[in-house]
Amino acid sequence: MKATLAIINQMQSEGIIGKYAIGGAVGATFYLEPAATLDIDIFISFQSAGSLVSLSPIDDYLTKRGFKAEKEYIIIEGWPVQFLPAGNALIEEALAQAVETELEGVRTWVMSAEHLTAIALQTWRAKDFSRILQFVESGTLAPGKLDSILSRHGLLAKWEEFGNKFLKGNS
Amino acid sequence: MSEWMRKILESKQAMRQRLAALPFADKVKILEQLRDRSRAIAESPLRQKFSK
Repeated sequence: MKATLAIINQMQSEGIIGKYAIGGAVGATFYLEPAATLDIDIFISFQSAGSLVSLSPIDDYLTKRGFKAEKEYIIIEGWPVQFLPAGNALIEEALAQAVETELEGVRTWVMSAEHLTAIALQTWRAKDFSRILQFVESGTLAPGKLDSILSRHGLLAKWEEFGNKFLKGNS
Repeated sequence: MSEWMRKILESKQAMRQRLAALPFADKVKILEQLRDRSRAIAESPLRQKFSK
């Protein structure tokens, strides 16, 4: 994954993408125990990408360098990578507030635990419920920060619904 | 809840905490092993035979 992130950083330094952050299962693994996943979700900002209005500059850049596209992924140094444009205000905020870290000397950014939780809540699939539960049980969430994100993005009612479904009687 | 079940759950929780506390680079190595195992299972002729 180190080599994969180095390529993505190279794309960033060459202006192909702007700000990016790792989300999904790999992002969650920054905070939680590792969970099996086959791909890396890389969220990218349209705002900081300037004139980028489609993913074709990314595809062009990578395919010219010999990386192969497979369905919605591009295989970069052994990892299928899915580039996901920030499609709403929550994801834009998650990108802006992503945590800077290092993987064996390669700089990268990971979405905060609270933003990953809020995005999972917004996405609302079975695997998202499981991830939210992992975050809640791990004690890594800052309650004040999570509340403010959920409130800002209209997710408090969903949080309550999630709590009623999965957290009632667990305390 | 029976005593043995309580012990199993506690042990599982402790394992999860140990794994979560590992450095990111170590966790990524585990992810890569899990990914390789998933691929091997997906590519196994036995699985392909039953998925048809």
